[in-house]
Parts: sequence; structure tokens; C-alpha cells
Amino acid sequence: MADLAPEDVRRLAASLSLPLTGDDVTEIAHRLNAFLDALAALDALPLEQVEPWQTRPEGSA
Amino acid sequence: MSPAGDDLAFAGTARQAALIREKRVSPVELVTTYLERIDRFDGRLRAFITICRASALAEAARAEADAAKGAWHGALHGIPFAVKDQVDTAGVLTTSGSALLRANVPRTDSTVVERLKAAGAILLGKLNLTEFALGGTIRFPYGQPRNPWNPEHDPGGSSSGSGIAAAAGLCSMTLGEDTGGSVRSPASYCGAVGLRPTWGRVSRHGCFPAAWSMDQIGPLTRTVEDAALVLGIIAGHDTRDPLTSRSAVPDYGAGLEGGVKGLRIGVVTELVDGADTHAEVRSAVREAARGLAGLGASAEDISLPHIHFAGAVFMALCDSEAAGRHKPWLATRPEEYDAGTRRRLVTAGLIPAVAVHRAARARALIREQVLAALGKFDLLLAPTSPHPAPAIASHTAPVTSKEDAAARFFGRRSYTTPASLTGVPAVSVPCGFTAAGLPIGLQLIGRPFAESTVLSAAHAWEQSAGLSTRRPALAAAGAAL
Repeated sequence: MADLAPEDVRRLAASLSLPLTGDDVTEIAHRLNAFLDALAALDALPLEQVEPWQTRPEGSA
Repeated sequence: MSPAGDDLAFAGTARQAALIREKRVSPVELVTTYLERIDRFDGRLRAFITICRASALAEAARAEADAAKGAWHGALHGIPFAVKDQVDTAGVLTTSGSALLRANVPRTDSTVVERLKAAGAILLGKLNLTEFALGGTIRFPYGQPRNPWNPEHDPGGSSSGSGIAAAAGLCSMTLGEDTGGSVRSPASYCGAVGLRPTWGRVSRHGCFPAAWSMDQIGPLTRTVEDAALVLGIIAGHDTRDPLTSRSAVPDYGAGLEGGVKGLRIGVVTELVDGADTHAEVRSAVREAARGLAGLGASAEDISLPHIHFAGAVFMALCDSEAAGRHKPWLATRPEEYDAGTRRRLVTAGLIPAVAVHRAARARALIREQVLAALGKFDLLLAPTSPHPAPAIASHTAPVTSKEDAAARFFGRRSYTTPASLTGVPAVSVPCGFTAAGLPIGLQLIGRPFAESTVLSAAHAWEQSAGLSTRRPALAAAGAAL
């Protein structure tokens, strides 16, 4: 997937009512592209073999 | 002869409690010792946001009078403590490190503060942190916290002040909160002991949340013995935190001398030998593994290949939750956030839900891998951080690319977040110093609710290594550096 440009980020943030300043947008684009790459890489894992875990650790009463 | 002055400040909580009990040191003397050190050093280190000078002295006088009458309050009678400013304290400013909460004064104590006070401890002050315990703060609204071993370097976060105060002898013991490493990282960078208990072992009631399924309060202290003492007081079920365990709280101090003989320790190769791991860190941690083997444990390499994903998975889950929590303030008061926090939260608000769901499944895989390893080994061993404390300036520079962002935000978090994602206990204990004099932290990760094993192994290492007697050479505030 192509990286998101600052203008893409500006449109996304506006649609979600998230605040952006001129100084923020470029850095947020870098951060968001880093997330999208890192989370896309998770497809290499057998994700369908597990359910999302949101409970207590073993041993907890 | 009883220790006095700086020696008393560094004597450790358990020893100080014994000295008070033996009436060789008075609570007033102990509180005054720390207040004088705070006056000398904290203008530069900025560990504290609020100092409870008058109330601490009054409480100390009361503790002294009660001791004279034989009326002991508990195991921490007359011991001064300080807590991360994310944790509520009745009648005392609690900012979470943010300008947004600059006037927030809770009416009630958090459970952990309530329990420490019930054990006789005296609140000395509130400690600095990265904004809302999220990490990445560029401009700290209550002063830039600095590493006591080199003030140009980062003290770690998010419990920055807790690590500084414990390591610099500004307080007997402190509490921090660890979501993804926020107790262990400052312990590692500052040369203190930091314990993240099992998720659910300690109440989070009265603690500003970061991520509900990972937040956990824990002690930062000068010794493992002190961490065990404090954990025994703050642990246990709390009706005000329904996610706390009802399982009994063991006597952590009693098991401390158990040693490591017969323990099986897995050395996590991805974290010890990985390309991101600084050579001096790798060397010190490998030496610690050999040292523990020399004390009777077996140390064997183990590979946990999913662990590389832990940093990004953690941030996707933690930050998306935080973005949801902060949305109302982000929408109405964005300029009151530090720029680093605001960028982190807005970024998280833009991550697609399907990607967050993928991260939740990956968390389950990482958790399975860690728990399987803990089925084979009693403990997992790794560096707490891939590198010693970096220069403060390296944190505040703008992010210049997605590669820069990934390196800064995901890589180092893969060292501490496996325990967070799994919900298991982990301790950071000093295991050496770099040639430049910066501390290196050893991380020991245990099975759920096996804090006793984690602590006894850390204690055995600490006693063997003899590093807990080292003190940072501090410059008084205003002195030439």
C-alpha cells in the first residue's frame, strides 16, 4: 500500500473531528505510515488460529 | 552506629523501617533528610511535581510521638514515600503530568496510597511523568526530568520521577505505573529496582488509566527486598477494582532468600542478541545469565520469534484505547496537550479498526508464545531496554520518516511489552554500567502470580552482583555541571 501523504492525513482527521495543526500533520503522517506497515506485517502470522484475548491471566481467581 | 545524612537516605526502606522500630532513627529525621536532598538536587533532576513538605513533617512528628508511646502504625511506620502523579492522593494536586489537569485535586486516595498510609508510610510528594503516562513528551509542563547518572540523559518513562527519586535517594520508596514498561524502563535507565506485578495483583483504583488490560501499579526501590516489602502491602483484592485477583497475597519477603538453585531460566535470544541490542547491554545481560547459572540455576537460550512484533502490537492496542479516552479533550483543548502526546493520540485515532483487530489477534499469539516458554522455564531473562539511557535531545527531535517513527516507537518497546501483553510479572534489576557510567537493567519475567520467584531470583542476582551500593554523583541545583 502506498504511504499516506500529509494531505490524506488532513482529510482523514477532518472526517473524524481530530485536531491537526500545521506542525503536527507531517509527523502524524510518518507515525501513521509506520503503524500501517507494522500492522500489515502481522499478516505473516497465523492470526486466524487465535481469538483476540481480553481476559485475566491464568491463575487469577 | 546509625546511618545519617546521605547514608541514611540510601539505606533502603526495610533497613530504615527497622531503624525506626529500634528507635535509632526518628521519622522526623528521615523525612528531613529527604527534604534536604530534594532541596539540594531536585531543582536539576525534576523528579517531583509536588512536595508535601508541611504535611509530611507533621505526619512524621505524629509518627514519632506515637512510636514513643509504642503505638506502631504498621510495617512502614514513619517511612516517606512518593507516587507517580498519575495516582490519586486526597487533597494533593494530581496532574498526570499534563497541563490539562493542572488544578485537579482528588478528594480521596487511590487504593495503593490508602494501603501505604495504613501501613504507616508518609506521603512526601508526587512524581513527574510523561504526559498521561503515554511516553514521548517533548516539553514537560512540570519540568524536564533528568537521569541522576547523567542529567543530559533520559531517566526513562513514563514513571520518570519514580525512577529518579528511588535512584537518587530523594525518597525511601516510590510507586510507578507500568502499562508497557513504565516502571521497568525508568528502573533500568536510573539504576533502580522496578517491579511490574501480575496484571490484577494490585488495584488500579484511583489511577488515571492508559490501557485497561495492561495497566499495573508497581514499586520502584533501591533494593529487591524493598520491592518485596512494598508489594506485600499494596497487593490484594480491591472491591473498587473488579479486575483485581482474589488469590491470597504471599509473604514476598519470606521467600526472598530462596535463591535460584534448580530454577530453569530461558534467555530470550531475540532480545539479548538482537541487532537493536547495544553491545554493552548484551555483554552485561549475558554475564548476568552466567552469574545466575553460577548460583545454581540452569540458563538456556530460547527463541520467541513473535516477540519482534510486540512493540507495534502494544502501541496499536494501548494508543487506540487512549485515543478514545482522550477524544473529548483532544477535540476541545488540543493546544493544552504536549505536541508529542497530541501527535501520538491523533495518530492512534486514525488507525483503521481492522488493523487494531489484527493487533489484538497478534497479542494472543505473543501471549501464547510467552506462556509456552514459561511452561518450560521458571523465568525468562532479557535486557529491560536495548540500550542505556539515551540523550534527552534524541527524544525531542522531530520524527523525520516512517522508518524513524518505527525505530523510535516500536523497537525498544518490544523488550518490555511481552510481559505487559501477557499480563505476567517482570522485574528490572541493575546488572551493570556502561563505560560511560550509565546503568544497565536486567529483566526477569515470571509466570502469572509468581512474583516470589521473580523477586527471589532478582535478590540472588543483586546480592551476588553487589551493584545496589553504587550511588550517582549528584550536582546540587545551580551548581556548575
